Amino acid sequence: MQAKGSGDTARACSDIPLKPYYTADDIPDGHAARVNQPPGEAPYHRGFHPSGYRSKPWRIFQLSGFGKPEDENERIKFLLKNGETGFIMEHDRNTADHCYNVDHPEVLARREDVGLTGAVMQSVRDTAICLDGLPMDTSFGHAGGAVVQHAPFALAAYWTVAKQRGYDLQRLAGTGQSDFNLTYLGCVTKQQIPTDAGLRFNADIIEFCTEHLPRWVPVSIAGYNGADTGLTPDQELGSLFANAVEYLDEIAKRDRISLEIAARGCAGVSFRASIKIFEEACKMRAARLMWSDLLRQRYGITDPRVANLRIHCVTAGSKMAYQQPMNNLVRGALMAVSAVLGGVQSLGVSGYDEALSIPSEHAHQMSVRIQQILMEETGLTDVTDPLGGSYYVETLTAQLVEKAWAFFEDIQSRGGYLACLDSGWLHAKAEENQHAEFMQTESGDAHIVGVTMAHDDCSPFEIDGFIGSDDAFDVALDRLKEVKRSRHERGAADALRRLEQVCRGTENIMPAMMDCLEREATLGEVGDVYREVFGDWRTPIQS
Amino acid sequence: MRPKRILMAKTGLDGHWRGPTIVARALRDAGFEVIMIGMATTNEIVAAAVDEDVDLVGLNIGGHIDVALRAVDAVQSTCPDMPLFAGGTIPPHACKQLEAKGLEVFPPGSALTDIVASANRLTGLSSQQ
Repeated sequence: MQAKGSGDTARACSDIPLKPYYTADDIPDGHAARVNQPPGEAPYHRGFHPSGYRSKPWRIFQLSGFGKPEDENERIKFLLKNGETGFIMEHDRNTADHCYNVDHPEVLARREDVGLTGAVMQSVRDTAICLDGLPMDTSFGHAGGAVVQHAPFALAAYWTVAKQRGYDLQRLAGTGQSDFNLTYLGCVTKQQIPTDAGLRFNADIIEFCTEHLPRWVPVSIAGYNGADTGLTPDQELGSLFANAVEYLDEIAKRDRISLEIAARGCAGVSFRASIKIFEEACKMRAARLMWSDLLRQRYGITDPRVANLRIHCVTAGSKMAYQQPMNNLVRGALMAVSAVLGGVQSLGVSGYDEALSIPSEHAHQMSVRIQQILMEETGLTDVTDPLGGSYYVETLTAQLVEKAWAFFEDIQSRGGYLACLDSGWLHAKAEENQHAEFMQTESGDAHIVGVTMAHDDCSPFEIDGFIGSDDAFDVALDRLKEVKRSRHERGAADALRRLEQVCRGTENIMPAMMDCLEREATLGEVGDVYREVFGDWRTPIQS
Repeated sequence: MRPKRILMAKTGLDGHWRGPTIVARALRDAGFEVIMIGMATTNEIVAAAVDEDVDLVGLNIGGHIDVALRAVDAVQSTCPDMPLFAGGTIPPHACKQLEAKGLEVFPPGSALTDIVASANRLTGLSSQQ
């Protein structure tokens, strides 16, 4: 929902009434006692470290990828050369999200779409091409696997390439994603495993990383994907922590690894940084506070290495307008400011061409340049939690925390986060908000520059959407045939059979998945195992 | 008179549902019957258009324009009088290709009232402009 900006009716997106100005008396008593707490100490709302960005600049971390693995490799190298300080591998949605190979009928029917949203990586050979010459050992890599059922394959492919290059997995830093909000809420995949199987996958990844990849962020809950589907900031917070306790309760139930270590594995999350600057900054502060309180109260965990939430942010794609797209450079910069004021550790700025296509090279470069200007020129990094102590910001932070916990409890009372996905309750919440937001712009209560007002643009339509490469499908099909022709067929078949046995049982799937990748089993073959063993999720909404 | 029926389908395999859901709700609120089949292949779209006896086909396009154009061609050759309209993240060059085939196109930022007005026009509920 949009905040209304005028008169005495102003409200935050989280449906909190906003006063014309604030005084010390507005800060709730419980929160006032915490206002003077220095950054780097519980409950961490004031930031992750006393010296903040002076000692640790945020990571410049852009979603990237399209076409063939070599196209994606080239774009990632371009971004690193331009100043990106980690890298993200996007996978082709058609194949990756559904665990299909390109010769699957659903993909064949849309062959031109292949590669449009990420590189096609059907075997470890493809992943190796995408990672060619990239600094896996010294940088921070995001292996992809945003969709839950795809994550074990994407992670195992990345880790297998790392092993082939002689890197020690115990020292490898990077992140997975396996996001329920994307998979089951925001972008409901056509064919996918049910939520309980997804929970098992994520718990398996957390356990596997604990033993073999202690520096890896095994799963990363993306509040972003809830927010850009329609959840308000308080709902984004509440649902994110409702999601986190599903993971932690599952780990506790299994009792195979330390809950504290598992909690650290869940403590790298992402949020959306949207256009309401103060509310979004407050959201990041509220998130750190809530995580610290949640761990202490529910699990008795207070170790600062665990309780100090690590936040990646992406600026809101849905706020990027199709009309007058250069305005989006300003929007991207302002949304990034909200994230930086909120003290996040990692940031991606959506491209100015977001409403038309995946980012062009220039749009990508500008997303990096925006971050560099904020980091190097503006003084935003000089003082930690520069908004701390503001009557307004402290009050709104406390109010967001209160509303977010109420939403968290609402979810718990309906059987928990997974149950609210299965029933469609969260989808209905998001849809209500989407509808309300649209109605506000339709009625003229909220404005979007260049879209609902200020239509006269003196420049021509500057951009026409980035298309990528036109041979992604053909090359992927050739490579699929080649890997099946030249791999050790019995080895691959044995590995897939073993994966199926493990999927039918209760042991961790990741060792079997690593074996599948080493033996060059392909994405679609792994997907066939899932479909056979787990069946399909019953989608609560029709897209 | 029975309500006019609109088929809505996504041509791609990307399940983001925010856009089409808002549009479907606006169309239902305006009195249309909306049949949503989600992600569908060209053959599935044509079959549904025929089976559901719809008055208008709406395509949500998020991928390559050639995939959408194939669906448009198939609908138009099977049901020559069937009107179509389209929405989604459609870049300007692709909008032109769809418009050349007679479609009304609604990229991001389009007003719901304009989409509803288009549905009224295309199903003969209001006179052509």
